[in-house]
Amino acid sequence: MSDSINFLDPSILAGLDNLELRARVVVEGFLSGMHKSPHRGFSVEFNDYRNYNRGDDMRHVDWKLYARSDKFYIKQYEDETNVRCVIVLDTSASMAYSSGGISKLNYGVTLASALAYFIMRQRDAVGLITFDDEIKEFLPPKCRQPHLMRILRALSQVKPGTKTDVVKPLTNLAATLTKKSIVVLITDMLDDEERIIRTLQNLRAMGNDVITFQVMDDAELNFPFNEASEFIDMENNESFITTPATIRKSYLDNLNVFLSYCKKQCQTSGVDYCLLNTANPLDEALSSYMSKRAKSF
Amino acid sequence: MVFISPLFLLGLMAALLPIAIHLIRKEKPPKLMFSTIRFLKKTSKKLILFQHIQQWLLLLLRSVVIALLVMAFARPLIDQTMARLLDADPQSAVILLDISMSMRYGDTFDRAKQEALDILRTMTSGDEVALIGFSDSAEFVRELNTDIDSVRSVIADLEEPGYGATRYMPNLRLADQLLEESRYDNRVVYLISDFQDSGLQDLDEGWKLAPGVAFNGIDVATEESSNLVLTDVRSPEQLLEDAAEQLILARVRSTGTLYLNQGEVTLSIDGVMVDRAPVNLADRSEEVISFSANFDTQGTHVGEVRVNGDNFDDDNSFFFTVDVLPKIRVLLVNGEASENWFDDEGHWFGLAVSSAAQSPFELSSIEPAELSAAVLRRNDVAVLLNVGDLSTAQAEAVGEYVNNGGSLLLAPGDRVNPDIFNRQFAEIAPATIGSQGQLGIDDYLVIADFDRRHPILRPLDSDWLARFQGHWSLSAHAESDVLMQFDNTEPALLEREVGNGKVILFASSLDLEWNNLALQGLFLPFVHETLRHLVQSEKKQGSYDIGESFSLDPTGEGQSVQAMTPSGDDIVFANDDFVVTATEPGLISVNVDQVDYRYAVNILPEESDFTRAAVATLYDSIINPDTDITQSREVRTTQLIEELERPQRMWWWILISVMLLILAEAVVANRTYR
Repeated sequence: MSDSINFLDPSILAGLDNLELRARVVVEGFLSGMHKSPHRGFSVEFNDYRNYNRGDDMRHVDWKLYARSDKFYIKQYEDETNVRCVIVLDTSASMAYSSGGISKLNYGVTLASALAYFIMRQRDAVGLITFDDEIKEFLPPKCRQPHLMRILRALSQVKPGTKTDVVKPLTNLAATLTKKSIVVLITDMLDDEERIIRTLQNLRAMGNDVITFQVMDDAELNFPFNEASEFIDMENNESFITTPATIRKSYLDNLNVFLSYCKKQCQTSGVDYCLLNTANPLDEALSSYMSKRAKSF
Repeated sequence: MVFISPLFLLGLMAALLPIAIHLIRKEKPPKLMFSTIRFLKKTSKKLILFQHIQQWLLLLLRSVVIALLVMAFARPLIDQTMARLLDADPQSAVILLDISMSMRYGDTFDRAKQEALDILRTMTSGDEVALIGFSDSAEFVRELNTDIDSVRSVIADLEEPGYGATRYMPNLRLADQLLEESRYDNRVVYLISDFQDSGLQDLDEGWKLAPGVAFNGIDVATEESSNLVLTDVRSPEQLLEDAAEQLILARVRSTGTLYLNQGEVTLSIDGVMVDRAPVNLADRSEEVISFSANFDTQGTHVGEVRVNGDNFDDDNSFFFTVDVLPKIRVLLVNGEASENWFDDEGHWFGLAVSSAAQSPFELSSIEPAELSAAVLRRNDVAVLLNVGDLSTAQAEAVGEYVNNGGSLLLAPGDRVNPDIFNRQFAEIAPATIGSQGQLGIDDYLVIADFDRRHPILRPLDSDWLARFQGHWSLSAHAESDVLMQFDNTEPALLEREVGNGKVILFASSLDLEWNNLALQGLFLPFVHETLRHLVQSEKKQGSYDIGESFSLDPTGEGQSVQAMTPSGDDIVFANDDFVVTATEPGLISVNVDQVDYRYAVNILPEESDFTRAAVATLYDSIINPDTDITQSREVRTTQLIEELERPQRMWWWILISVMLLILAEAVVANRTYR
């Protein structure tokens, strides 16, 4: 377990330039720890066999066939590939912040690529939207293997934008979604949180499952600064000179009010909420997604 | 609060460092890109104000920490402790500062003053110090007291040394006596001098400083000195008119550490240089220079012998005075002029006053019948030898003559009638004549006693071998002085002052009829001194050495005396006798009742001898064997400071305070910056 955790360490992943490789490491590492997962299989009628992959539920192994061929085959069912997932990634300027390790944007890219790889591996359709105050890239959900490469290529080309406007891409997305989908929002939510919540509530009301990953840097969460400094806002270039130690408590109080609001509003709206610290491994995010997928389908 | 190492207090400036750093850094806060400042901007203004207060508190704490550390290094003591420290081993010191003439050489005296000031600089409040400026004796004394600043100002105000000789022992004794009154056991004598060997001439091997009195000799002599000095000058003091050419001798010697063998000596009379002569000491240690000089006119002449060729000017001159006197006019009234010179008083008296080639007397001889007031007025002194037949008018003329200032010498012989004599000279004679004392052939009287202090007899302090077989028994008047006595206690010589004149009465004749005095060697000086005494006041000394005290009034009766020092300053007399002490070489000008006098004052040649003595020689001679080898004051002070500081441990408390402040600073800083 410890080895797999090491592979999921964001700082190690950041050293891998190949995004596909990075996604594979994340997913394989994550799945290696999922054998005892309490999640049960999917539904319905048997359709075909496929080779066993690590992470597959052992209950779906055809033991009779194993007895005859001495190989693991997983029984596939009719509706298993009908899940559609859209990953919405915030690429605004605030996402470029890093206190020394991996930036929030890089963390989000890694998470998005891992999710795309994982979803595609599950033979689900996956799409991608990147945005700051405008939509920068939109790839509709598909389940073919070349589509994964396009998604990964798009993610690898992501650059920090300017201001944040989460509402706009979500509104556009809602207009394009014709089937029940899973919307994965990866953002720091440093925007008008009330508008974001309302938009998410709308998506949820349309029957979609929504998972919100709020990505925050460890320095944002703990404010470990000591030296008196001039803090400059990365999105609007406003500045504020202060001695951090003096106002640390005040900062953290204000931040917690914000995070608590986001969490509480998401929960009351049926939106899954997961606060991610860029200093922590990605398995927490993947677990959240799997949990949501299992509950939904 | 006092500090043992106050120089460390300069480090207090380091307390400004935190403020300086704060001010420097305040201008350049580092910029930090952050995702959003929305949560920072919500900070309350009260919190920001508190933040500022904390920053200033931190600044204050850091400055105080530095200041306290500096104070700890400066080793503070409270006042009472320092007082104890000072009282614990204060010092009683006597500074003996040589101000003799030899200290005038080069910058010797300036260095001596600096040494004295340096000694005072090492003293602290509580010490007591005395100051003695000395030469052959103490010129000034400032007794022990704790006002060190006033002693310092006295030393600083000293302009130049005097001209006195150097004598160490009397002044060391004085210093020792001063220390007997000292308040402290830590006693020391500082002797600042050029340590002339001549100053140790009176070294008393038996005398020592008191036990416990330390001695510190500080030698400020110039290593190399060169000097020519007149060790002696011989000149006549008194001359008579028409005296022959006089010889003046000057003795020259090189006395510095560097030998000078060339120079020049000049002679000046009354301010005019009359002669000069070179000095050549190449093959001798001393040379005698001879000058010839004429003193023609009557009065007092001043002379100066000066040697040139060295770089010490103060001892180059020798001054002298020469009095040229008029001859004394002597009227001899011979009462027994005889063809037999053996019995002729006038013969023997004439021999005495006229035998010398340069007789100071101008003798005129008359018969008693020729005596008159007019004749008397033409002479300074009248001598009546065995005159027994004067008329009453003549006797009255004599009395008037004496009362008006004339002088009279009476030597009655066998021709004198006592009754007539006593009647005629009752008012002026020192005694009345009684019977004539005639002794046997083998019997005689001798002079048994005489007044050795009298001007006539002072130079005749010898054995009087004259034998007196005849004499007059005299009864002295109350106002008369008996100057000589025979061995039968009868007066032999008497003096009486009458009016403005003097009368001397000799109890015997001046021929060989009654005595053999005229055959004695003392006869001539006796006659000379008697006549001189009758006419002149006592010859006053005209030349003195530095340090001698004398009266500037040669008459002893001056009413108005004005005098000037050799440097031209008026002399203010502190006594009625017009006595002064010679302190400066040169000529003192005096006016006594409109009569001018001059006195020569010369330095002591021994003071010009720069031969040095080792300080150790003096130290070994005067240090008391019971005196411990004293530690230096610095060592003692250091030990005392440590001893008295130890129980205080004040710096411990300061350091503990610093530690607590550092902890407080850490807490505040932690709250402020972490």
